[in-house]
Amino acid sequence: MFACNGNVETFVLFRLSDKSEKWIEWILLIATCISAVAIIAILSLLVAFCLPLFTLGRIRGVLSSQWQPSGGYFGILPMCAGSLALSLLALSIAFPAAMGICTLLHVLARGVFNRFLLATVRFMTGIPTVVYGFVSVFLLVPPMREWLGAGTGFSLLTAAFTLSLLILPTIVLVLHARLEQIDPILRLASEALGLTPIQQMRHVLFPVASRGMVVAAVLGMGRAIGDTLISLMVAGNAPQFPVSLYHSIRTLTAHVALVVATDSRSMAYQSVFAAGLGLFLVTGLITLFIRKSGKAGREVRREKGF
Amino acid sequence: MEETVRKIMEPILSVENLSVHFSDKPVLQDVSLSLWPGEITVIVGPSGSGKSTLLRAVNRLNELYPHCRTSGSVRLRIHGESGDVYRGFMALSELRQRVGMVFQTPAVFPFSIQKNLTLPLQVYLGVNGSTLTERMEEILRDVGLWEEVKDRLRDDATTLSGGQQQRLCIARMLALKPAVLLLDEPTASLDFKSAARIEKLLLNLKRRYGILAVSHSLAQTRRIADRVCVLREGRIVQELDHEHLRDPDAFQTIIDVAF
Repeated sequence: MFACNGNVETFVLFRLSDKSEKWIEWILLIATCISAVAIIAILSLLVAFCLPLFTLGRIRGVLSSQWQPSGGYFGILPMCAGSLALSLLALSIAFPAAMGICTLLHVLARGVFNRFLLATVRFMTGIPTVVYGFVSVFLLVPPMREWLGAGTGFSLLTAAFTLSLLILPTIVLVLHARLEQIDPILRLASEALGLTPIQQMRHVLFPVASRGMVVAAVLGMGRAIGDTLISLMVAGNAPQFPVSLYHSIRTLTAHVALVVATDSRSMAYQSVFAAGLGLFLVTGLITLFIRKSGKAGREVRREKGF
Repeated sequence: MEETVRKIMEPILSVENLSVHFSDKPVLQDVSLSLWPGEITVIVGPSGSGKSTLLRAVNRLNELYPHCRTSGSVRLRIHGESGDVYRGFMALSELRQRVGMVFQTPAVFPFSIQKNLTLPLQVYLGVNGSTLTERMEEILRDVGLWEEVKDRLRDDATTLSGGQQQRLCIARMLALKPAVLLLDEPTASLDFKSAARIEKLLLNLKRRYGILAVSHSLAQTRRIADRVCVLREGRIVQELDHEHLRDPDAFQTIIDVAF
């Protein structure tokens, strides 16, 4: 392109950039290698630390339902269930909210309000997790304790509300980006058919963006499972199965944080690595799923520029 | 004879003193025209003359764009009753069912062929079950698409050819039983053969609907139009009828002068 316009100077620049491009290639390659090695190292380390659990036959103890280190019980299943329950609950609050916000952004809100809404969502991504946790302890926990009249207020439900705020912007932005890619002619056509804005979202835009919705949900779920601080601060940390919304629970991530901070040699410490390995694999699977569905989606969807 | 018929019949659509501004820039100024059932009125004009804006003013689609201001009136006559669509004659979604629109690029939804048609039927008319299938077949036969797609109704509509997609869009619009059809250069993105099929279809449809179309092709305009409005810089500068359309050279001369 530079050579075509016949400008000698730009042609020389182009040659120069060709050389620097090689450098960039090398730097990127090295960075990629470091990241890949780091991931492999983490995985190997986790496997290596977990190995004694398998060789000494302790895995059954870890995959049991009671956590009571003083009594010799090191089961992490309540924490697995806690993580799953909390992230699913947070997702079930955040996802419909995200769909509502995207509906506002795409078909209902206009002008200043639209820009304000999007800016607020973007701003939310920058708020540190600890702020959500901290604010929640003071603003959400007391009313939960008083209104629901159950326990201390540090509960599955409290943590789910707080966590849903944390994952909301992720879901909104992924879904919003997907909806933005939809050919504007589809919006125009559904408008010309007389569909109301809500009907357009429900019958045309969301179905067209269905894969984007799955990706947004999975990404939100991944964020929810991986989050530590919120569950540590507001879920109550009781190592029990999530039998009620108003009871305290402990998640895998919070469990790892709590045990690592207090212990370093015992069986409890080793069980943490099993928890870490589990989280690593779940996150890995989520990433794989997103990549796969993204690839499959590209072939059939109608996007801008096609 | 034609004039007599016109005098007896009221126009199905009459646009009076219509002006449209976008951010205070006038796009249409003082446009008036009438549309009778059984006729195709074609709007021609250079690009940027406001042809699409005129169509979109009829079904109030311009309101989708920011800073749009419309004045004048667009009167529609449905089942013997008439009223101004800008003065609450009917709800917006009903207006758009009564005044169907097809765009330059075929705007099929990336769902199955079947769903493209059943979506408006289900959402508006609550048609379901066997009635839905019957209606679908009837409409697809109307646009001459049934034989081509009857074995692949569940295929993605985007796998159809451009011409087929455009006929599916016309079918989707007809499913809502409109009274007026707005066609914004419906054959501009199609090859010669597909365009010819659509033209034939329009000539069939005009018996039942009032058709207001925009065309970029003067040859096509001569083939399908009963009346022609020449639009320049947002104003109708000339109206032509059958007399003018009959002689190609005279038509060309008039158009050359008007452009």
